[in-house]
Amino acid sequence: MLAKTLQKGDYRVRKILRFALAAGLVAAFVVFAAGCGSKKSSNGSTTTTSNSSNSAYPGTYANGSSAKGGTYTIGWEASFGFTDNFDPTGEYLGNAWGLYSNLMLRALVGYKHLPGAAGNDLVGDLATAVPTPTDNGLTYTYKLRSGVKYAPPVNRAVTSQDVAYAMNRLASPNDGGEYPFYYTVIKGWDAVASGKATTVSGISTPDSSTIVFHLTAPTGDFNRRMSMPATAPIPPEVGKCFEGSKSANGAYGRDVISSGPYMFQGASGKFTSCAALKPFSGYAGANGSHIILVRNPNYDQSTDPYRKNYVDTFKFVVNSNADDIFAKVQAGQYDDEVSAPTPKTIEQYATSSTLKPRMIPNVGDRTNYITMNLTQPPFDDLHVRKAMNYIINKAALQKAWGGPIPGSIATHVVPPVLYNGGLSEYDPYATPTESGSVAKAAAEMKQSKYDPGHTGKCTASVCKNVVMISDVRSVDKTMAPIIENDAAEIGIHLTIRSVNGAYPVIQKPGNNIPISDRSSWGKDYADPYTFFAELFDGGAIIKEGNTNYSLVGITPAMAKTVGATGTVTNVPTVDPDINACAKALGQARITCWENLDKKLMTSVVPWVPYLWPNNVFIVGPQVTHWNYDQFTDGPAYSSVSVKQ
Amino acid sequence: MTNPPDFEVTAGGAIALQSIAVARKTPRRLFWERLRQDKAALGSAVAIVLLVLIAIAGGPLSQWVTGHPQSQTYDSMTDAYGVPLGPNSHFWFGADSSGRDLFVLTMYGARTSLFVGVVASGFAMLIGLVVGLTAGFFGGIVDTVLSRLGDILLAVPQILIAVGIVAACGVSKSGCLHGLLQPGLTVVIVVITLFSWSYIARIVRGYTLSLREKEFVESARAAGASNFRILWQEILPNLMGPLIVYSTLLIPTNILFEAALSYLGLGVPVTEASWGSLLSQVSSSGLYNVAWWLMLFPGMFLIITTLAFNLLGDGLRDAFDVRSER
Repeated sequence: MLAKTLQKGDYRVRKILRFALAAGLVAAFVVFAAGCGSKKSSNGSTTTTSNSSNSAYPGTYANGSSAKGGTYTIGWEASFGFTDNFDPTGEYLGNAWGLYSNLMLRALVGYKHLPGAAGNDLVGDLATAVPTPTDNGLTYTYKLRSGVKYAPPVNRAVTSQDVAYAMNRLASPNDGGEYPFYYTVIKGWDAVASGKATTVSGISTPDSSTIVFHLTAPTGDFNRRMSMPATAPIPPEVGKCFEGSKSANGAYGRDVISSGPYMFQGASGKFTSCAALKPFSGYAGANGSHIILVRNPNYDQSTDPYRKNYVDTFKFVVNSNADDIFAKVQAGQYDDEVSAPTPKTIEQYATSSTLKPRMIPNVGDRTNYITMNLTQPPFDDLHVRKAMNYIINKAALQKAWGGPIPGSIATHVVPPVLYNGGLSEYDPYATPTESGSVAKAAAEMKQSKYDPGHTGKCTASVCKNVVMISDVRSVDKTMAPIIENDAAEIGIHLTIRSVNGAYPVIQKPGNNIPISDRSSWGKDYADPYTFFAELFDGGAIIKEGNTNYSLVGITPAMAKTVGATGTVTNVPTVDPDINACAKALGQARITCWENLDKKLMTSVVPWVPYLWPNNVFIVGPQVTHWNYDQFTDGPAYSSVSVKQ
Repeated sequence: MTNPPDFEVTAGGAIALQSIAVARKTPRRLFWERLRQDKAALGSAVAIVLLVLIAIAGGPLSQWVTGHPQSQTYDSMTDAYGVPLGPNSHFWFGADSSGRDLFVLTMYGARTSLFVGVVASGFAMLIGLVVGLTAGFFGGIVDTVLSRLGDILLAVPQILIAVGIVAACGVSKSGCLHGLLQPGLTVVIVVITLFSWSYIARIVRGYTLSLREKEFVESARAAGASNFRILWQEILPNLMGPLIVYSTLLIPTNILFEAALSYLGLGVPVTEASWGSLLSQVSSSGLYNVAWWLMLFPGMFLIITTLAFNLLGDGLRDAFDVRSER
């Protein structure tokens, strides 16, 4: 009967079956979802973690003996995110520095690639030693090691002229340098920067193994400045293929010639001409899917006391899904990650005795902050910026990152570790449990011009539809609603724009972005100068790749140049303070920076600092040795090893 | 569908036809009688009405009942590691990764999903109707150009192009096209409309090609009716049935399209509730095996909505189609 009915295409039966199927699908969905969640309920969700002090993090992991060989695969979240297409002259991404410093480039001075304070000790790398300045601190002479050779296709010995070439390239306005301001103290630098000269007169190379720098003023941290990747040697014959025009900016990134133990896969043969130089296959581009590094056949281990170089091949693989990255790390398909563990992942590892050793928190020397643009209403009002500092629930943002393991709550600009522990108790916008205070925020807002009725809320129209640039990372998606909710408490209504790669957007002053939660800054080297000079120097504001997101110290003329609009007159500046502190030495230098930090937090208030992140890394089961590199704030790739 | 004539045999054996009472039924009545028999379609219609009510009033109502504003985040609804907590007596659907009430968000999500689905489908129907009518009625070069344009749109990888457009419009403060396209709902609706109208245009063109050769159109033309009059008064009314059916099928497709865009992080802003964006939290935060509620509730509403529209569409199609069997 049923068969006959169906043969005739009984409509009702078909409908009933379709309903049954749909109901079954929904039921299956429910059962599946509930089943997936059963693991959680057995684990419990209220486990708390101790608020470990930073000193509790040794930054090392060992799981057996280290041996040469193997491939080390790293999952890299979303995209490489390079600032200059991996060209060392203009590349400012910390993760890129991890590759340069550990694997590809040898600057005159470097580091031991260790965690903690030892990792910030300067050592000779390309140079035989860290020089002591002469001529009352105005002259630095570096002697180069012998036996350091470039990878193919250049294949020759590294010379002092190559270092001088890299410095001239950095000084040139046409080659995309991102941090040339560190070197303006070298005689003749400004002449090149302004296009009046082509070589820096204060750099001389008496012979191919000696380079001398003549400064215009004593600079206590000059040796540290010479540890940065842009100062590493570049063979002029290759570098000249990519210089001088805007379109060539960053193009050298595809053909970086290695002076370190590893090089791009595909680098081979002999260099003959620029036309014959093709992109190396190991670099798939800044927006590409991978970087593959293999051993540099011309590298001589005896010239390098600080890199161990166990691994044969490094594979950096872009993966858009952070959860997939950590699943692959756990399964052993990846050995390491360039990502941010989600709260779920941190909880999973923190509460499992077997997984916990593979989660390695490290002191980050970094500050995460919400940046407010001093030229854009309503943040062109000091009281609004102060109100934001009071209203933001920093404890909730800390939880968005996964709680105390990923970092401690930030209360000012520079992490206390860079003040040797100074300002560790300084908290000018303290609120109960750091969860924000409507009362304190309202008291500030009442003093604002955007609250003419003194209601404690921003009532002006400029507080509607205030664009906040966020990213598409999961942590940003979690933070954005928290910030939106907090800002609304004082009448500021944010419109969130989540973009894949927020940095390029906020690094253009011409975009006039009022506020962003994506900003984060880590030291360039262990001196607070590397925060203040880059983040608050009005003279360093540039049209693209600008890192002074708040536009502290911008002038009307400069605003016109970079396309910034809004309130560009009488923007507070700290340029004289930065210049004064940069000249100080010893404890006076530290104290000077501390005072500048206080000034920024009370008189300028460009940020809401919310987290001093620990860099939490999770390594795969095949890893036998891992340690943190305090200089690059990332894995010491030159020391990692894997099971064969 | 007329009744057979009544007859009776007289004494002489002759058959005498009696006066016949023919029950004449209008197409509308026929349609309604057929639809009324389709319980699934009627049930779906009721479900859709409920969903529309939820879209209109569900958000504010749920906010009022629970006392939890849509954008309010609750520290107590995430654990020490920031992992959201599940349903309890105050948070019936649990919390999302920011600690917001998922019940309230899901109710507001109905508004977003239905709004995008209905508005984008409406625009797509309008454009598809105009293009399809024009191409089918005038034929020739007009037909060739418009049909190939539609074919091109059908051939492009829609998600990839959509991702590109949405991303491009999200990088500056002013959006793109000099501020005409702002990131968020506007872009999502534009993108969905862009890739939806060609389906409708192709269907309308096919019907129009057939209708323009019918006798009633020839009669109108012979009577001197203008092209516009023929299109407006002769062809368009005959397209209404198929248009209604396809609109009910297009709406769920577009709701899923919005969900897909939001799932990829390219739909509505993260601070606005959308079923797709809520589902995306499960994936991007890796919460699927610890926060089942984030997948269950928005997913269930999404399934119910698309199923209801699809079943109603099926029912309408069968009710309009006199050849279909019951």
